[in-house]
Amino acid sequence: MIKEAIAGQKEGWRFTPGEALTGPHFAPAGMPAAQPPLGGRVLCPVGFHRAALVNGRWESKHALLKLPAGVSVESLAQANEPATAVSADLPLAAVAANSKDGIVVRVGRHVRVDKPIHLIHLAESSGKTAEAANARVRIVLEAGASAEIVEEYVSFGDAPFWTNVRSQVVLSEGASLKHYRVVRQGTQGRLTNALELELGSRSRYESHVFNLSGLFAREDVRALMAGEGAEAHLNGLALLSGSQFADHHTVVEHAAVGGNTRELYKAVLDDKSRFVFDGLIHVKPGAQKTDAQVYNKNLLLSEDAKVNTNPEFKILADDVSCKHGGAVGQMSQEALFYLRSRGIGDEAARRLLVYAFGSEMIERVGLEPLRAALTDALHGLTPEAAEDKK
Amino acid sequence: MLKITNLHAKVGDKAILKGLNLTVKPGEVHAIMGPNGSGKSTLSYVLAGRPGYTVTEGAAEYDGKDLLAMDPEIRAREGVFLAFQYPVEIPGVSNKYFLKAAYNSLRKHRGEPEMDAGAFLKFIKEKAKSVEMDPAFLNRSVNEGFSGGEKKRNEILQLATLEPKLAILDETDSGLDIDALKIVAEGVNKMRGPKRAFVVVTHYQRLLDYIVPDFVHVLSGGRIIKSGGKELALELEKKGYSWIEDSGSVPKAAA
Repeated sequence: MIKEAIAGQKEGWRFTPGEALTGPHFAPAGMPAAQPPLGGRVLCPVGFHRAALVNGRWESKHALLKLPAGVSVESLAQANEPATAVSADLPLAAVAANSKDGIVVRVGRHVRVDKPIHLIHLAESSGKTAEAANARVRIVLEAGASAEIVEEYVSFGDAPFWTNVRSQVVLSEGASLKHYRVVRQGTQGRLTNALELELGSRSRYESHVFNLSGLFAREDVRALMAGEGAEAHLNGLALLSGSQFADHHTVVEHAAVGGNTRELYKAVLDDKSRFVFDGLIHVKPGAQKTDAQVYNKNLLLSEDAKVNTNPEFKILADDVSCKHGGAVGQMSQEALFYLRSRGIGDEAARRLLVYAFGSEMIERVGLEPLRAALTDALHGLTPEAAEDKK
Repeated sequence: MLKITNLHAKVGDKAILKGLNLTVKPGEVHAIMGPNGSGKSTLSYVLAGRPGYTVTEGAAEYDGKDLLAMDPEIRAREGVFLAFQYPVEIPGVSNKYFLKAAYNSLRKHRGEPEMDAGAFLKFIKEKAKSVEMDPAFLNRSVNEGFSGGEKKRNEILQLATLEPKLAILDETDSGLDIDALKIVAEGVNKMRGPKRAFVVVTHYQRLLDYIVPDFVHVLSGGRIIKSGGKELALELEKKGYSWIEDSGSVPKAAA
């Protein structure tokens, strides 16, 4: 079924090595026999509200929820969330849509959630066989509500594991969400996430996605700028090496007046890693005063690494401001020599320049503990440079 | 301290230096003057070890060691410093971090303990003051958005911080107005001392009014064709380079 579904999506999957998903025979993952505690295995501090899915199922043992009035974080199975239709070009979301469990977050009118909410997608592999888990996430912010949500996709070990998620975010008028996603998977970890967004009038959605490890990660964002003056900020940083692959497909549909989109995705690629960026802004007739920018910048550290970048516009309104750009470059030899001429060793200088390229995306993270955790995660890559940022 | 013998170098396929000889002793300030395209910047880059600049013949001995065999970072750690004609912008790396990394790499090389962030900040603020640099520049990305004068001042800040034994200033006066030039020259003059040598590469005599050299050499066609005292610079200013190039001075005069 997966094979057929992917095979039917020729255009959007042209540069995606779908065999990572269709090659192994993935069996549905059951609940693991033992559940080691989360301590030390996730990025965010225990001070956050926390909910976790283990292999796609709600695990109340890992939940830390003392929520203020007007906020709920529940198991999707228990909340009895009805299934909703999936767009035909998101075949994997259709698969995930049938999953029995997941997480539902609701924030009531004008409620501001006191602390960030940490949602953990944990893959506990049984061992050597290939396993897969599906899940759904639904986040609904009512008018004027605001929240910060960190989703972390985590797996460990070397057995193939595929996490397939369908995520939906609905922001009503004037709602504001900061949505962080951190991908930290094992060497054979695969993640596919289809993220559908619906933004009401003057709502603001800010997203930061970090690909830190794992074999394969693909995210499809479908944003509908439904209300006047909606704002979407999509940020991404992928740090890739070995034969890792990351793919960001974003389609932002401006259907109302005065929408604002800012996209910046960056990737650092070493060895034989690969990165795909496909960013489409679709301005519909009547969506005047749309202001959109889509950029993708890539740093290649190896001749064997490869990037396919395709920022794109489809504009059917006449009073709009749209800019896009895609850049693929190598490390500046001038900058490298400048650093070395001051006594900084070749290796340290290279790491420093990689850090310099990526740090912009970390600096955009407003959530301090997460920012520190991401800096620490980058620490392994550039231990010295990180020290200065603290 | 520095002994360059019969140095030949090319950039890509183009031969630029064609048998250059120069000896610099501790405490001395040597000015290298010459018209555009004579090989001044190539000499600077060859001494600093820039990739792409290939030595095809000859030698450069620094403190009794083979300078040309060292990687650029080793040269820096051994006390060679090049002030760039066009300092490089490095977005995303703060100036103070850059300076600390450089400073500590030198200390480490000398077997001294590295300086921690707090102590370094205090130290570097003092240094910034000594070259009249606003400490706000320490928090900005290296040279990013700096004016021409600010970039050159940042080079002098690095010079003052790293305290090299041999400092090469490549066209440090280019793009500077007279006030900036004075500040930069003053920064250099403070660094002069019996153990430190300077090689000042410049097209114009102007800089040498403020950094007064002990020796002046004229570089032309990849060789030093005339050497003299500081009065030679004044003569060049009056008569232009064609005066020497036409007079047929023999290159051996500089050896």
